[in-house]
Amino acid sequence: MQAIHIENLSKRYTSGKLALNKAGLSLGEGEVFGFLGPNGAGKTTTIKLLGGTLLPTEGKCEVFGLNPFEKPEEIHRISGLLTEHAQMYNPLSGYENLIFYGRLFDLSASDSKTRAVELLDLLGLNESKDRKLGAYSTGMRQRLSLARTMIHRPRLLFLDEPTSGLDPENALSVNEIIKEQAKENGTTVFLCTHQLRYAQDVCSSFGLIDDGTLFATGTLEKLRELVQEDVSVMIEASQIPDRIQAERIGERTFDVRVKEEEDIAEIVKQIVSDGGKVYQVSTKILTLEEIYFALLKKHQRGELLL
Amino acid sequence: MIHSMQWAIIKKDLKVISSDKLILSSLFIVPAFLAGILPAIMLLAFTSSSDAMHDMQALINILPGAAQADNISVFMVSYLINFMMPSFFLMIPLLVSMVFAASSFVGEKEKRTLETLLYCPLPLVKIFQAKILASFFLGMAAAVVSFIVMFLVVGIISTITLGTTILPGLSWLVIMLMLTPAIAIIAITLVVRSSAKAQSVEEAQNRSVILIIPLIAILIAQFSGVISLNIWILLGAGVVFAVIAFVLLSGALSKFTYEKLLK
Ligand SMILES: Nc1ncnc2c1ncn2[C@@H]1O[C@H](COP(=O)(O)OP(=O)(O)OP(=O)(O)O)[C@@H](O)[C@H]1O
Ligand SMILES: [Mg+2]
Repeated sequence: MQAIHIENLSKRYTSGKLALNKAGLSLGEGEVFGFLGPNGAGKTTTIKLLGGTLLPTEGKCEVFGLNPFEKPEEIHRISGLLTEHAQMYNPLSGYENLIFYGRLFDLSASDSKTRAVELLDLLGLNESKDRKLGAYSTGMRQRLSLARTMIHRPRLLFLDEPTSGLDPENALSVNEIIKEQAKENGTTVFLCTHQLRYAQDVCSSFGLIDDGTLFATGTLEKLRELVQEDVSVMIEASQIPDRIQAERIGERTFDVRVKEEEDIAEIVKQIVSDGGKVYQVSTKILTLEEIYFALLKKHQRGELLL
Repeated sequence: MIHSMQWAIIKKDLKVISSDKLILSSLFIVPAFLAGILPAIMLLAFTSSSDAMHDMQALINILPGAAQADNISVFMVSYLINFMMPSFFLMIPLLVSMVFAASSFVGEKEKRTLETLLYCPLPLVKIFQAKILASFFLGMAAAVVSFIVMFLVVGIISTITLGTTILPGLSWLVIMLMLTPAIAIIAITLVVRSSAKAQSVEEAQNRSVILIIPLIAILIAQFSGVISLNIWILLGAGVVFAVIAFVLLSGALSKFTYEKLLK
């Protein structure tokens, strides 16, 4: 069974804004899916549709075989949602808040308590657990919200900007926690983020969306192929045989294009057999950030057809 | 019938409210005034001056049995307590459940906690049921406590000044069992219905405060002798209010969607 399956899904708000346009997507269980796109692209809209708190204009979607538009509460039971604006109760302490959500998600009173303590520990909030939420800093609130989404050990996490408002250290630890959840508990994660460096590290597959159009999906390797067909290899050598297509970019550095990484060995062999000396070979692999911008540009120029 | 998840919501609502000093004090002051101070003043005014009795002549004239009563003061005070006080008294469940409902429904929206709350394994209707119940419990609790306080005050003052202990009449049975719950439910439902539109607690309260107007109209009509309430009128009103409450409530519950609520 797919964790998430979306077909032809569209949402037009009553204002007339088409926030999602015929999106299609399939996610396996245990995947960490990075949903990337500029502000206003339609990421939050998609999450709300999946959680059943928004109804689509057309199309269908399934979350673990359940239809969010018919029985949203069944989706809520197996998933946790973290959104930018969702808050908890300021007059209650962090601990009391978590216990309440535990009870709300049908955990027993004692299970709620143990789970709350467990998560407060995990997110480094143990010392401030009895402080009122009203006295929490933005970063502490954000971490408590993440704890809340995990209180009922969900199979699926919808995380909308979980690291917004966190300092680099906390952002790093939150990303580690997300990765751990997926690895150890097999939790599927649907992660919207603008922090591409973390996303590259955390996510197993990606979706790129702009202005309501989901224009590219797949693993990092697959997306990389969409941007560059050949691998760019930087070779530092005393000379390079003429028969090898190379662009000189420094006194003794050359940029060579190869189809796959296997070809590199062959090139090095030819240089050496022609009496040249090889000092350094490095392949330039595009980062997610570079791929993201390249694909976005391609899409906006209309060069990308799925 | 009430699921443990719903109890969690009810308990949480009461806990959050009890930390709000402003709401808490208004929930205390209104009943204290209407059920404690007001009856005391009315009773003392009646029993200590003949002017007050004179002012009520129009009323005395239309009251059946007033002319034949042995002690016109005791008769009038009983009438006052059993048929005039109710209009004041009913403002207690009305205001208490309204203030509570406004903060429980619109307050959650204002403080951005509604989105989190709605994302739970309970269907929307059940969440709303729990919240309505919480407001209802509080309104009823306030009414019961107020009732007890009021008749303690009335009993003590009447014993001292009239030498007779005035006890609640049969009308209070109708008031406590029919009118109070019906009015509480109507007040809550109106707040709930406006909660989808209202963006702030004040706005929701303002929208619903209109409910007091009919009660005030009845009071004015009573004091000027235009109408006099009796047990049958109260019973009739109780039935009508209960029907209105039921219709409004079921209408309100069926109308909600996440999208409307979270706008
Ligand atoms: N309730 C609404 N009514 C009308 N338009 C809306 C509503 N919510 C969102 N939109 C519009 O739909 C588009 C997509 O919004 P959405 O919130 O899904 O973007 P996003 O990708 O989450 O952006 P961000 O990165 O800024 O969070 C935007 O143009 C937004 O203005
Ligand atoms: Mg968003």
